[in-house]
Amino acid sequence: MSVLTGRDDHLRRRRFVNRVMELLAWLAAALAVAILGIVIFSVAKKGLSQLNLDLFTKPLQLYGTGPQGLANAFVGSLIIVGIATAMALPVGILIAIYVNEYAHGAVRNSVRLTLDVLAGVPAIVIGFFVFELIVVGHQQSGYAAGFALAVLMLPLVSRSTMEVLALVPDSLREAALGVGAPRWRTTLGVVLPQTIGGVLTGAVLAVARVAGETAPLLFTSSLVASGMQYNPAKPLLTVPLAIYELTDSDNPSDYARAWAGALVLILFILFVSLTARWLATRSRRKIQRAGR
Amino acid sequence: MPRNGKFVRVSLVVAAAAAVAAVAVVTAGAASAKSTAGTVNGAGSTFVAPLVTKWEGPVQSDLGLTLNFNGIGSTGGVAAITNKQVDFGASDAPLTQFNPTCTTCVQLPWALAATGVIYNIPGNQHLKMTGAVLAQIYMGKITKWNAKPIQKLNKGSNLPSTSITVVHRSDGSGTTYNFTDYLSKVSGAWKSGPGLGTSVAWPTGEGEPKSAGVAGAVRTTPGAIGYVDVYYAVHNHLGLMRMQNKAGSFVLPRAAGIKAAAQLDTHPAKDGSLSIVNPPASKKYRGAYPICTYTYVDVQKSSGANAANIKSLLNWAVTKGQSYGPALIFEPLPKAVVTFDKKQIKKIHS
Amino acid sequence: MTSLDVSPDAARRPFSGRRMHLGDLILQGLAGLAALGSLVLVGLIAWKVIQGSRLALSTFGLPFIWHVAWDPVHNQFGAGSFLFGTVVTSVAALVIATPIAIGIALFLSELAPRGIRGPVTALVETLAAIPSVVIGLWGLLVLAPVLRDDVDPALHSALGFIPLFGKASYGSNVFTAIVVLTIMILPIIASISRELYLGVPPELKEGAIALGTTRWEMIRGVVFPYTRGGVAAAMILGYGRAIGEAIAVALVIGSFTGISANIFKPGNTLAAWIAQNYAGLPSALALSSLIYFALILLVFSILVNLLAQFIVRRSARAQGLTR
Repeated sequence: MSVLTGRDDHLRRRRFVNRVMELLAWLAAALAVAILGIVIFSVAKKGLSQLNLDLFTKPLQLYGTGPQGLANAFVGSLIIVGIATAMALPVGILIAIYVNEYAHGAVRNSVRLTLDVLAGVPAIVIGFFVFELIVVGHQQSGYAAGFALAVLMLPLVSRSTMEVLALVPDSLREAALGVGAPRWRTTLGVVLPQTIGGVLTGAVLAVARVAGETAPLLFTSSLVASGMQYNPAKPLLTVPLAIYELTDSDNPSDYARAWAGALVLILFILFVSLTARWLATRSRRKIQRAGR
Repeated sequence: MPRNGKFVRVSLVVAAAAAVAAVAVVTAGAASAKSTAGTVNGAGSTFVAPLVTKWEGPVQSDLGLTLNFNGIGSTGGVAAITNKQVDFGASDAPLTQFNPTCTTCVQLPWALAATGVIYNIPGNQHLKMTGAVLAQIYMGKITKWNAKPIQKLNKGSNLPSTSITVVHRSDGSGTTYNFTDYLSKVSGAWKSGPGLGTSVAWPTGEGEPKSAGVAGAVRTTPGAIGYVDVYYAVHNHLGLMRMQNKAGSFVLPRAAGIKAAAQLDTHPAKDGSLSIVNPPASKKYRGAYPICTYTYVDVQKSSGANAANIKSLLNWAVTKGQSYGPALIFEPLPKAVVTFDKKQIKKIHS
Repeated sequence: MTSLDVSPDAARRPFSGRRMHLGDLILQGLAGLAALGSLVLVGLIAWKVIQGSRLALSTFGLPFIWHVAWDPVHNQFGAGSFLFGTVVTSVAALVIATPIAIGIALFLSELAPRGIRGPVTALVETLAAIPSVVIGLWGLLVLAPVLRDDVDPALHSALGFIPLFGKASYGSNVFTAIVVLTIMILPIIASISRELYLGVPPELKEGAIALGTTRWEMIRGVVFPYTRGGVAAAMILGYGRAIGEAIAVALVIGSFTGISANIFKPGNTLAAWIAQNYAGLPSALALSSLIYFALILLVFSILVNLLAQFIVRRSARAQGLTR
């Protein structure tokens, strides 16, 4: 009988430990939700007060009086991220094509390793690098900032494109070759279109990532004019940099403007991430269907 | 075209439209660039930033020029003008403090103000402070507001037992140069310790970027102490200390105190530098505030196509521009300094 | 983030021995050029950083790394206090974030009811998507005052006998930076771990349950060992992220140069100091020293990356190339 009781006690203890662990896991998840909730709530609450038309129509002017907004920051961000995407997307896709369709063995591994190393370099080091490469001796510019962001986007775009390219079954390639299509035609006309969804997903996620990057912009696009500026050959104000500079202020309405900028930035990134997720599910379904 | 042909076609159309829009924006931007030919860009000192930004409107109406200024700290300003990234650099520390420095620049003092010592404890009483005690605070030797040395200077004031949170600049700053210049002159321990510079090895305290950052930190931290251009103190309704000058009086950084200190020297050196820190103990300087400073503008001698614009801006700044100063607690430049400045400005050519 | 690619190297070669078209040449040429470009890019980054730090390297050499000083007046520079700050903040963030992240990952893979799983996963990924400047802004204006006024003094009075929890009066300090970094790396470790846990073959898990283990014992005995390598790599990636974070840390750490055991005092890190001084430095030696910091960060991040890759590869081999 004592043996049975002993086993019962032991079981009860094991079950207790199990309950405790489950509780801790629930708590951890609750903590994550709480933190996110607190951050988003803070941003929303403090940013909402400044979320008016002025925010989108008037440029920022530190130490300035009168109505202000972040119009030049929004425009600058769009232009610079646009330039970055235009630079990173074609190059990233080409690299992915090379790795997946042409390279093998050591070459393939070294390119993949290079991309992984590039992905791990801190953004501030990349910012400094671009500064030394193209800003020193010349001026800051939106192009330099775009290039810095493109360097950040490149490994992300490449990697996701590689993953989707690898998912395209060889039967498709062989079928195309079977009807006499040259290899380049096969790659561009048959394989790549299958992956557009995945490629766009990767691109969109990369955009979401760099839209909020501040460090590279410090070195390449921080000496900005106080009015509206559309010329990428000159430094352009961007939303993350505006937020960063507004924190160095003694003026509470500057803080409010920073929160508003943060709110718009988060909403943009959320929207972009959701789009990416939708594209991803869509493309996954397409490829599954194509494979049959 | 494969099965998702429509999707691909739509994506291509969207991409093409985006490309067209991008080209349009860039061309518009390039076109508008030509129309802003009358632009002068500057960067540097956050000490002088309130005044320079104040000038933007009048400069537009009086001279038809667009003035842009980025407050990134004196060190940033000197780096920017040395590397020809801007038309002028603004710095509260003379060019000799930097290495490499702009050897091809002219330097001239274009504004005059004071560095105030700000603090945040209840009851804005304009506490009395000496340089020696201040140095001890910044060296971490005095850590509470109700410490004996501070109490001795402020008999009758109700000082709290709060810890002193020391705030200084983290970026390279001309204001730091002015502040440490003063501390080095009044405290041997400071002089042989951290010393004088735009960026020093602070024994204690937290660093904040830009004058506004220091002011903001002091404003939001009970028990904090900091040093900024006096404009930020007044603008934020922060406590300002009455510093004891060599003559023994406790003076607030106001127009009278700055004017008295400026009497010390109104003839800039050949390179344009001019120091009025810690005036001596004679009757003439009884009302002088001991931590006053000129702030400089640095311009490349050969400034290319924009030289004419820069020169008209600077000539305006040292004459009419000075009238915008008093509201922001900047003292108008003494006549002798203006004469010197005008000669320096003549050295700028395209 | 590095791809934790454990699939075998697909050596598909259906194209061997075909006639070359001009189009083929162009495409392969361009694609090859792009790939070469990425190698050149990494090489350029390394070269520029080494070139910029050459003056500091020749003046100070290796001892720079542990020398505690940043004195532009006397031209004494060293990475010591900054490296200390980097290591303390990132290790502390890793230690705090990992158990919470694993808890979240377990919750999302094993415990969560169907309906909650999706939204909470989305929430965790949203947390990962918040830019560092926004977390820094929140940390400075919302978190720091709360820590300064309530949490830090409470911790100090409760645990003040440990030098770690010394006098607390600054809002911008090492502790605030640790909390901010923890929040930033938490979702990285959590989402990678979650995917790894979801990838454990159900037969193994069901087998353990069939033998009478509790859910926790099954997790401990099957899921953890199975995913050990991947989770370790995830932790290392989170650590790498924490090391390189400049903006959020610069906003909350208080920029003080010096080594202190007290986490409630302001501190500094390599990355944050680079961000604070991007505008310029008073001397060429100071600038070169700052670039030396970038070099240290670069080497650090490459090593961390390679370590994560190595661990993943080793554990994949140990499991006989799964999935």
